[in-house]
Amino acid sequence: MIRLAQALIDGALVGLVYGLIAISFVVIYRASQIVNLAQGEVLVIGALFVWTFTLGAPAIFGAKIPFTAGILLTIAACVALGLLLERMVFRPLIGQPAFAIFMASIALLVMLRGLAQLIWTAETRSFPEILPSGAFSIGPFLLNTRLLIGAGFTIVLTTALHLFFTHSRHGLRLAAVAEDHNTALSLGVSVRSAIAIAWILGTVVATSGAIVLLSGRILSLDVASIGFKALPVALLGGLESVRGAPLAGVLIGIGEQLAMTYLDPHTNGVASNVLPFAVMIAVLLIRPQGLFGWKKIERL
Amino acid sequence: MLPTGVHFETYGGEAVLLKTGRARIAVALVVAGLALLPLASSEYLHGVGTQMFITLIAVLGLHITVGMAGQINIAQSAFVGVGAFTAAKFASFGLPFWIVIPAAAVVTGAVSIVFALPAARVKGFYLALTTLAAQILFPIVILGLPSDWLGGLVGMSVEPLTVAGYAVSTPMRLYYFTLAVTLVMTVAAFNLHRSRFGRALKAVRDNDIAAEVMGIDVLRCKLAAFFAGSMFAGVAGACTAWFLQFVTAESFTLFSSVWYLGMLIVGGLQTPIGAILGVVFITVVQEGLHEIAGAFVRGGSDASGAIFAATNVALGACILLALIFEPRGLAHRWMVLKSAFQFWPFPPR
Repeated sequence: MIRLAQALIDGALVGLVYGLIAISFVVIYRASQIVNLAQGEVLVIGALFVWTFTLGAPAIFGAKIPFTAGILLTIAACVALGLLLERMVFRPLIGQPAFAIFMASIALLVMLRGLAQLIWTAETRSFPEILPSGAFSIGPFLLNTRLLIGAGFTIVLTTALHLFFTHSRHGLRLAAVAEDHNTALSLGVSVRSAIAIAWILGTVVATSGAIVLLSGRILSLDVASIGFKALPVALLGGLESVRGAPLAGVLIGIGEQLAMTYLDPHTNGVASNVLPFAVMIAVLLIRPQGLFGWKKIERL
Repeated sequence: MLPTGVHFETYGGEAVLLKTGRARIAVALVVAGLALLPLASSEYLHGVGTQMFITLIAVLGLHITVGMAGQINIAQSAFVGVGAFTAAKFASFGLPFWIVIPAAAVVTGAVSIVFALPAARVKGFYLALTTLAAQILFPIVILGLPSDWLGGLVGMSVEPLTVAGYAVSTPMRLYYFTLAVTLVMTVAAFNLHRSRFGRALKAVRDNDIAAEVMGIDVLRCKLAAFFAGSMFAGVAGACTAWFLQFVTAESFTLFSSVWYLGMLIVGGLQTPIGAILGVVFITVVQEGLHEIAGAFVRGGSDASGAIFAATNVALGACILLALIFEPRGLAHRWMVLKSAFQFWPFPPR
């Protein structure tokens, strides 16, 4: 019984981290109608920015950077990356078919992976301990402090982004872009600035996800595979729904943890890895728009 | 586009694969050149050529699924892997190659159908996500299966290929074998364009609702597109198994899937010529980068990672440039060049 409850708690906490990374998919889609498969790579580059401006600073710049300044520099770098991607890749593709934009995100995946390896090399490095590590116990249960703070952050961020997208004038404009680029343009909504905002939000959220995920742990280029784990979460929650992402994250996190606890010993460790993708295919078959997504109606 | 003065009086003449004498001569020259090339080159180039032929088979398959039917597939490498493992397993039973290759093709096609089934409900990039699932699940499942089935973590060694009693063991013999297979598959890909099935696929790509109105069973067409494209992947996989002589799950990554798609996009999605041009172009770029990097770090030790990274950046840049500046790919440039030649001295269309 305690084992079950512990699995539920662990699953929910890990799931909220997935949810946080899924939000970075959602904000990009919600504001620009782009599913960015390269989100895992964006997360790694964000994490490498954090490393560069904190632990790596003495070696690279020859001087220690104060922590607050390091974080500000990281955010500035994320904004610059987002703007660069918008200007170089996605602005020329406005109005192109969805296939071209999708392929551009795949090309970006390969390119960002290569660039990260060229600039920072493929060596593993330790990530600064921004959130406190360790765990504390409530009754018989053990709670990971880092994940708990991350969970709180995820919930606050979700609420803030939800309010931005549904109650602010700017956020509502982005909804028009997510519906259709050409319609948005004809209504006088700037698709360029929408895509720029989308990418800035996406890189910043992904970097915050990296901080929660990696704080005090090991950073390597393979961390990017978390992007493919968060993709089923974003799909289950609905690609247009900021609030759906953490909920779907909790569902998938708990499912994964239960599979890890009860099924993996019998299936050679396959069950927990397969589960998110089995869920993804099931979602696509049964309810393609996800739990809270917009249902698209097509006419000839 | 045909040169001025070439016309046909029967449908049969119009539908022939190589319409003019000049086209037949050109193809014969290319094939003869490819057949004579290994006599004048090193074993390294035989290997590069074999690899290129295998890649071409996989990309031709992708051209059917993505280019003709418009269904995005980012699991082609996993499907090549399924073909490779199937071929390795069948070859270990001592079956001859003319059973192993079709068997690998059919098994791969059947596996791809499973991941194409969501096409009944969704389209566009949503469908691409199920193929992404296929690509990510492939190594997990192979490594999770009992190791006496498919080798598990270690991988499987492959029985050497024998054709009519001759062991295909040297790189040159393997080159000729894959050349023959590639020729068959290339003709098949070109042929598909003038069949009823091929035209149905293109109708589904251009507008699936309109295609349905015209009496095409859209779902069946989409599934068949995946099946056909993956059969090519299965054939490529069988050749890969004999080429590498050892198959592991790590050889078939998401990155090679992206490479296949990248080659197709750079070359042009719509025609098999695009697949050929894309594969040749990217292979040349890749080998060129290898040469340049090799010259820079001659004697340096830890360069292979940087070379891999640089080729990834180059490929990503190639795909992005093609998408932004020439979405019709090199095939379109080739057509422009050809018509300029044919219409000379008049200005090209």
